[in-house]
Amino acid sequence: MKKKLLSAALAAAMCMGLAAGASAEEAAEKVFRYSTTAEPTTLDPSKVNAISDNEIQHAATESLVRNTAGDVQPGLAESWEVSEDGLTYTFHLRESSWSDGQPIVAGDFVYSFQRLMNPETASLYAFIGECIKNGSAVEAGELPVEELGVSAPDDSTLVIELEAPTSYFLSMIGSQAQFAPLRQDIVEQYGADFAATADKNVYSGPFVISNTDNKVVTFEPNEYYWNRDAINWDRVELYTVEEQATALAMCESGDLDYARIPTEQVALYEGDSRHHEYMNGNEDYLYINVGSEDCPILANKNFRMALNYALDRNTYIALATSNVYLPSNTLVMPLVAGVNSTYGEEFDLTESSYPLDGDAAKALEFLNAALEEEGIASASDVTVEFVTTDNETNKKIAEVIQEMWQSVLGINVDIRQVTYGEIYSTVYPTSDYQVGYAGWGPDYSDPYSYLGLFESTFTSYGTNYSNPEVDEYLAYAKTEPDAQKRMEALNNAEKLILDDAAFVPLQCRQDHYLMDEDVTGVEFYFCSVNIDWIYGDIAADAQ
Amino acid sequence: MGKYIVKRVLAAVITLWVLITAVFFLVRLMPGEPFTNPKLTPEIQANLEEYYGFNKPLIVQYGQYIGNLLRGDFGYSMKYTNKTVNYIIGQTFPFSADLGIRALVTAISFGLILGIISARNRGKGIDIFCVFIAIIGTSMPDFIVGATLQYFFGMKWGLLPVAQYKGFAYTILPTCSLAFYTLASVSRIMRSSMLEVVQQDYIKTARSKGLSEMRITARHQIRNAIMPVITMMGPTVAATLTGTFVIESIYAIPGMGKYYVESVTNNDYALVLGMTVFYGMFLVLCNLIVDILYGLVDPRVRVGGK
Amino acid sequence: MEEQKITKDMFQVKGRSITEMETISRPSLSFWSDAWRRLRKNKAAFLGLCIIVVYALLAIFAPMFSHYTMSEMDPKSMNALPSLQHWFGADATGRDQWVRVWMGARVSLTIGLCAATINMCIGAVLGGLCGYYGGKLDMIVMRIVDVLYGIPSLIITILVMVVLGTGVTTLIVAMCIVGWISSCRFVRGEVYRLKGQDFVLAAKVLGVSDFVIIMRHIIPNIMGLLVTNLCLAIPNAIFQEAFLSYIGLGISPPNCSWGVLAKEGIKMLRVAPHEVLIPAFFICTTMLALTMLGDGLRDAVDPRLRGTE
Repeated sequence: MKKKLLSAALAAAMCMGLAAGASAEEAAEKVFRYSTTAEPTTLDPSKVNAISDNEIQHAATESLVRNTAGDVQPGLAESWEVSEDGLTYTFHLRESSWSDGQPIVAGDFVYSFQRLMNPETASLYAFIGECIKNGSAVEAGELPVEELGVSAPDDSTLVIELEAPTSYFLSMIGSQAQFAPLRQDIVEQYGADFAATADKNVYSGPFVISNTDNKVVTFEPNEYYWNRDAINWDRVELYTVEEQATALAMCESGDLDYARIPTEQVALYEGDSRHHEYMNGNEDYLYINVGSEDCPILANKNFRMALNYALDRNTYIALATSNVYLPSNTLVMPLVAGVNSTYGEEFDLTESSYPLDGDAAKALEFLNAALEEEGIASASDVTVEFVTTDNETNKKIAEVIQEMWQSVLGINVDIRQVTYGEIYSTVYPTSDYQVGYAGWGPDYSDPYSYLGLFESTFTSYGTNYSNPEVDEYLAYAKTEPDAQKRMEALNNAEKLILDDAAFVPLQCRQDHYLMDEDVTGVEFYFCSVNIDWIYGDIAADAQ
Repeated sequence: MGKYIVKRVLAAVITLWVLITAVFFLVRLMPGEPFTNPKLTPEIQANLEEYYGFNKPLIVQYGQYIGNLLRGDFGYSMKYTNKTVNYIIGQTFPFSADLGIRALVTAISFGLILGIISARNRGKGIDIFCVFIAIIGTSMPDFIVGATLQYFFGMKWGLLPVAQYKGFAYTILPTCSLAFYTLASVSRIMRSSMLEVVQQDYIKTARSKGLSEMRITARHQIRNAIMPVITMMGPTVAATLTGTFVIESIYAIPGMGKYYVESVTNNDYALVLGMTVFYGMFLVLCNLIVDILYGLVDPRVRVGGK
Repeated sequence: MEEQKITKDMFQVKGRSITEMETISRPSLSFWSDAWRRLRKNKAAFLGLCIIVVYALLAIFAPMFSHYTMSEMDPKSMNALPSLQHWFGADATGRDQWVRVWMGARVSLTIGLCAATINMCIGAVLGGLCGYYGGKLDMIVMRIVDVLYGIPSLIITILVMVVLGTGVTTLIVAMCIVGWISSCRFVRGEVYRLKGQDFVLAAKVLGVSDFVIIMRHIIPNIMGLLVTNLCLAIPNAIFQEAFLSYIGLGISPPNCSWGVLAKEGIKMLRVAPHEVLIPAFFICTTMLALTMLGDGLRDAVDPRLRGTE
């Protein structure tokens, strides 16, 4: 026993010694180690399906332009022209190479876009390319992929035609990896195993993926990258750590340079110089199925108003999120692009919307009006089923809302928890719910990314909500080239949706994180890429 | 013996086949589908169903699956696109197995020792201590043990690495967390089984023959008392070696455990089936070994029943 | 001399009949009353029984006499430490833990006791039959066991939920579908071992029926291990419920159980450790009580210790 202990102690000491040796070596090498809770689902750019996938591709691929936290700079395209109607983009590519030394040509983009929209690829994210001319038809298999509005007149020119003038097109292709170039010979060589592991792909971006074993993605600088001089890291490691508390502990013990702080522990790090926060773009809502047969009162606008007024959002944030998220009473996240600055600054609806502190008296007025209209004797005869996914955080949110609605309105609220797989594939699309909690993250920095949720053609959340006026404003915004007019139309649509109480806005998610003090230049953004460390570095005085 | 083993292996193959068939159809009965992006359009949904062959009759899909399985091909995961189930198992199983073996060795050796000491000193202080340890072990859920050990030994006192799995020091905390429950149950079952045996006549006979207490314990008591522990071991070994969701996620170990839970909640049919088949093979093997061990350890039991 | 014929009626039975003499069991009534008598004399076991009874009573009555409810939230007492207002403190949403602990006890104790007992009964009967008769029956049941063991329990739980909806019953049913397996395997192994022993052989030679052999000779001999196993199965059921609740398949909120409280509490380990310590304390003491009671029961029902004081 003693011997065993001794040898254990020795081994532990040796490991620590090794670790010490390694860190001495790392001082010379610039290494960034960070973590994600969601294991990346794919390394195939066309099939990227989550922010964690996209962040990897943001480093390993280079698109026509590069969007770093909203700042769009030339990428593989040196320059570009946009036609006057905003429908045709002509890009002029710079000379650059893949990580195996072969030149990157315009045809690589054509192949990539066609592959994304090809029904045979079955990309979950193909809808992102629907803005390209004939995108929807190709995706549905109605037109051959060659009809997609993308062509390469020569090796250094790429022409993209769009369905409608899309003001956010450049910023979107700069941050969504589905628009990165692909090498046809490599994709065809590996077939279904393409990008299964690090070595089964070639890379166009500032970094190559050198290893993906054991849930650690390792990046190394791409020596062929056109802007190699701007890259400072010698190595970047992305760890998948499912438990946030574990990631935080690893960060505390020096195994990681960056980790998110679980909401319940944020208070412990107040005043810590490593502690920062940013808005990650996720807006959380309660969707209302206005066509619910089991709960017909949800079709009543006054009742939905009552649900909104009964929520004291400030108290809710304190109880359900330890005061970490920001209460929200609007649909569009305020940071998305407006005309000249952000949408939130130019078109603020916070004041005119539901009071953040709630208003119990007004909620009851709405409720009584609704009960009278529906011919229901008392509030206790109303039961609303609240559906949410199966994790602890969401359960707490559901419990707080349940308690608030029950105590303010006197209605009954039942909570139904289902798996993640069930809620998005069955419960929402088939309208098999009454009220449901879900978040929404934007694909591009534009109010439409949120407003599109309430267009009558959008059925993924099965809300059955339809307002012709809203549809009219949104249709107008799709084709209007004037930015100011377009934005006003979008804002009018948002007002209408709020006036209809089509949903219950809850919160803007805010991520709190610890970042090693020596690390500089890591950017955070609310759209497509949350953490962007491409141009990061170690502070000079730390070395 | 040889004939018995052949018979058992045959039965094992049939068991596996029934298991695969049952799970193949059961997962399709579960609500929901594998494709969970809220932004999915009906066209993309149709493309995906075509891609994975879901639009074919279920029985055809079943035939194809069995055909591929016979060639050792578990297919592609639906959540982790482009990754085969074989690849996922190949990447994660070594970690789970390594941790599992460490935990089992720790749990069985210390569990048996504690159980024996405890039974031999029934009612004395040391027995009460051992029983107390065993009760804590069996009544503390793994997520509490894991998180508490990590917090104190890793974070607060900085004695051991908080997470990951890349050296002996890294294995200590997860091994202890994982072993604790099994250790406690082994010691309790062993204690109770030893107490049972101690009253048997052959022990009295041995004692009256003048054998030393040491020898009685070693030769007669333990050998007879260990049977219930062996019975318990079959499924425990299979479950421990193929990974545990909670401990692996607390210590950020890239093992298999997570996929058992996640594949079901994500409706990742191919992964659920792959995991089930792999686990099933393991389980059948472990149970077979247990049954054979019965015959080896306990001479009164003849394998084959009669 | 005339041969005298010896007939049956010339003899007269004095004392007990042959069958009576060859009966090897005492009446069952005295078996159980004897066990109860011995259990009462065992101080540790009696203490264990008292703890369980006290917890059960508190679970029933404590929430009724508190002026808090289990779902009432109070932003002012988020993560409050135990105090005169909140005897066990309050959780992250300011709910009174005293009420929640005892409401949780209702769920946990019900699920733990029901699931473990049902599993043990099914397992003991099937395992006993398999171990005793062996052969084809054994082979078939063991293969069913292998298959059931292999099916991920999550799938089974989800499917049971689809049929029965959420709730305590659903959880118990889901746990019972696979839960009996371990006790079945285990009892089978023991019976296998016992049936070769001399006292069983002796009973067989005397022509005692199989049923009586199982009930009178085999079951009392494995009772000790059964009880120990039952004590292990109860916390198992409690944690399984916590795990299922964790992934959203357990009881629906705001209802809670000890497992759920522990799960919520462990997240607060660094912020408010009492939120995990209190439910953990109750889980542990319940197990302690069950173990003491179990040990006492084992001794009480052990046939070799009968008649001893």
